Amino acid sequence: MGIAVFVFIFLYVQSELRYDKHWSGSENIYRITTDYRVSENSEQIALTPFLLAEKIQNNFPEEVEYSTKIFFSDPSDVNDMSSLIYNDEVYEVPDITIGDSNVFRVFDYYFVEGNKDLSLTKPNTMVISTQVAEMIFGDEMALGKKLKTHIREYTITGVFEKRCKPSHLSFDAIVSVNSLTEKNIELLNSDWFWMNCYTYVKLKPETNYHDFENALNDFSGREIKKFVEKAKININGYTDYSLEKISNVHFNKVLLYDNPGNTDKIYLIVFAIIAGFILLTASINYINLATARSLKRAKEIGVLKVLGAVRYQLSLQYISESLILTTLAFVIALSLVELLMPQFNHLVGKDLTLVGSLFSQGGIIFGSLLVLLIFVLSIISGIFPAFVLSYLKPVNVLKGNKMIVGKGGNQQYSAGRLRKFLVTIQYIVTIGMIISTIIIYQQMMFLKKHDLGFKPENVMVINLPQDTTFNDRASEFIYELSGEESVEQVTLAGNAPGYTAGKRMFFTDDSSKIMSLNYFMVGQNYFKLLEIPLVEGRFFPEFDAKDSTVYYIINQAAADTLKMDTLIGHSLKTTFGLDGKIIGVVRNFHFSSFYKNIEPLVIAFSGKRARYALVRVKGGQHDVALAHINNVWNKYNRNQYLHYTYLDEKLTSLYNSDYKMLSLFTYFSIFVIFISSLGLYGLSSFLIEQRTKELGIRKILGGTANNILLLLVKDYLKLVLLAGIIASPLVYILMSKWLSMFAISIEISTWYFVLGILSALIIAFTTVFIRVYKVINKRPSLALSYE
Amino acid sequence: MVITEGLTKVFKAEGVETIALRGVSLKVERGDFITVMGPSGCGKTTLLNLLGLIDEPSAGKYYFFGQDVYSMNERQKTELRKRNIGFVFQNFNLIDDLTVYENIELPLVYLGWKKKERKERVEEVVGNMKLSHKKRLFPAQLSGGQQQRVAVARAIIAKPPLILADEPTGNLDSIHGEEVMNILGNLNKEGTTIIMVTHSQSDAAFSRKIVHLFDGQIINENITKV
Repeated sequence: MGIAVFVFIFLYVQSELRYDKHWSGSENIYRITTDYRVSENSEQIALTPFLLAEKIQNNFPEEVEYSTKIFFSDPSDVNDMSSLIYNDEVYEVPDITIGDSNVFRVFDYYFVEGNKDLSLTKPNTMVISTQVAEMIFGDEMALGKKLKTHIREYTITGVFEKRCKPSHLSFDAIVSVNSLTEKNIELLNSDWFWMNCYTYVKLKPETNYHDFENALNDFSGREIKKFVEKAKININGYTDYSLEKISNVHFNKVLLYDNPGNTDKIYLIVFAIIAGFILLTASINYINLATARSLKRAKEIGVLKVLGAVRYQLSLQYISESLILTTLAFVIALSLVELLMPQFNHLVGKDLTLVGSLFSQGGIIFGSLLVLLIFVLSIISGIFPAFVLSYLKPVNVLKGNKMIVGKGGNQQYSAGRLRKFLVTIQYIVTIGMIISTIIIYQQMMFLKKHDLGFKPENVMVINLPQDTTFNDRASEFIYELSGEESVEQVTLAGNAPGYTAGKRMFFTDDSSKIMSLNYFMVGQNYFKLLEIPLVEGRFFPEFDAKDSTVYYIINQAAADTLKMDTLIGHSLKTTFGLDGKIIGVVRNFHFSSFYKNIEPLVIAFSGKRARYALVRVKGGQHDVALAHINNVWNKYNRNQYLHYTYLDEKLTSLYNSDYKMLSLFTYFSIFVIFISSLGLYGLSSFLIEQRTKELGIRKILGGTANNILLLLVKDYLKLVLLAGIIASPLVYILMSKWLSMFAISIEISTWYFVLGILSALIIAFTTVFIRVYKVINKRPSLALSYE
Repeated sequence: MVITEGLTKVFKAEGVETIALRGVSLKVERGDFITVMGPSGCGKTTLLNLLGLIDEPSAGKYYFFGQDVYSMNERQKTELRKRNIGFVFQNFNLIDDLTVYENIELPLVYLGWKKKERKERVEEVVGNMKLSHKKRLFPAQLSGGQQQRVAVARAIIAKPPLILADEPTGNLDSIHGEEVMNILGNLNKEGTTIIMVTHSQSDAAFSRKIVHLFDGQIINENITKV
């Protein structure tokens, strides 16, 4: 089982490390990220301007093979293109984006249908994954078929295979960038500060990426300067581009607007350590039992030696026995892995296969590693009895002298210390896992219970269509939604907490002091619905078409940043022409995840345009409300899916990787506890059996059941305590690092360590007690006759 | 001091019953030195185990200083045993991981003596047994005779009124055997009651009474000394 769990963790870690390594020439593929500094604000974002890819392609022909752009899309947040219509049937494809014709030149997906080089060159073309093709067209060819969204029709020009290629790119369908209107493209192509695309470059093999990075920044510096002068923007800042190796993208957790599925490498390191320890623990159990069993085999060795066996023959015998056993264990373990793979995949949210790993890139390494492991384990497990026991003098063995005793006597070696050392290591891992699990659990509970500054319960977030025809009817839609008893409140919103938000440039009086602040657009009822209290001033007034004033409400963090004596009524200017005035300050609320502190936020009123409708439903009446919402939706949006999320679920999903970590830690902890208890039980069984006679003597001399229990258990408990002392600082360092990822976190309390060590003590005590109990109740006369 | 009435012990193994003792009735007075003799398998050790409360009889009664022992619970029996009975075995039964000193001290630990009192008493007995220079050694570092002296020292450390000795010289040469028998003889002279199992006629000569067992029954009792 130890081997099985090791293989599981290995497969998981391996699949994570394989991210984006399978593209041909992946060592030359880079993502361009932006370091965006305005005044004192600095931000690192994964996005770049739309025009960058084309500028690179045209201006760096010597250095760059291809550059490409893929539009930003949040896979957890559907967009307008998500509902695809074929033969009047609507299919939902949430992860759909826009890209240029170089996408498949940089990322060489395998094309099942179509020509990858030509697939995205024409307007209104779309390339889909095999999964989407199967979903919509079944066994039919997809190429040339037409798919509609509610505003446009696309021709399928390619079908790509996505499975078994782990990548940070997750799209299931991609639309050609030429499908955008010319006006839109012109607008996008003219702005160096509008960050909305991921840009990738495939450098020529001879290009030094560092030189290219410098050249790119020189070039963009000049271009931005021209742009700023032309647009007459007064910005005191600069934009710096960096190249990020494609295989590192999956492990980047620091950039804004990056893939939420990215993983912190620390998890992989922790899992690799756990895997190593689990294997070590299993090996320790085997070694421990082997040494304990060797006592029983000492006589056999004596006889063999008398019969003429020499040391190397005995050593060979032990190592081969161990080899057979370990190989058998591996075969059973691999069968177990194959059997439990679906459950494991469900747990980690992956699509791993053992065969897939063996026959994939690096599969040979995996296979060789398994074989190497068999040998290493066999040798480690077999080496003790092989080398140490074969040293025994046959005369002592045959006389029945004790071969392994703790102190004194005529023993030829002592295995006591080795065993104690091995048991201590096991318990360091066990206690470390228990304490870590407690801390992770406490932190996740802390986040769950932490006051967000608003009430996310029973709030549905409905994704709205982004076309102008709907915008005109949005207020009507909202009004109809509210006409049902199960619906408490409704509001339009451009942004919702937990969803991606944008930043804008603001300044107050001095136009040279520009600040990049988070920017929300919300409807009339937003604060009331989310129960965000006002600290100062007032909420937005009723929508009045005649009033052209732009009103802003800011949060307390923004109020602190603006550093003004009188905020209310003060003007707040922007670089994009929406100068307005501050009319209120609301209490800080966590509009982003707990990974970040609450940042300054400026909230503008949006009367018509909205990305979402927020609906607060009466508790316990979700079904009634949903039926009503569906009816209203279908009335306004034929042929479109109703995409909705519960706000609290969306917020919880921000910590999916942490919850995954918690469940993995819990399972691994239980497993490590189980495996080390098994080891301790086996070991104590052997050792107690060794001491049966001594225990009899002690009982005869007046030792009570409690005396005997204490005698047998205290040795193990001392080891567990020692393990706890060693494990605690290690866990403290590791968990402090993990907690530092969060802007708000629990204090690591001494109690977690006490609880962890105490649990381990209780588990160890119970394990040994179960075994000792049998001995305590044995008649001493039986013990004396035991040899 | 010790009275048994119809002590019977039947061993059952894999459905086969073996009767080790058949209704043994014995009376031992305080200060007695009794030897139990008989051929191998006649039930000598079984009788000693029953008298030492380290085994349960199948039937019969056992009175120790007038108390009905078999009506006691395990804790009471342990209490009675550790305060009143010392054991000497043929194969010494010392604990290998403990030093000579620790082996001798052990009954006092279980009696709850304080460390200082234990030290004084152990030093006294170790001196009497001429083991002072060996007290830091482990049993495996001693000769058979020395080991048995340690076992005797351990048996008498708590000054029990009764010592049960099972073939105490069985594993010793004649010189060491005699040495151990002299110690037991002297203890008896000082008032300790001794019940000894042996095959050796010369060892039996140290006792006052010889009980002959055959097939689990007492066939006769001889008084050797008055």
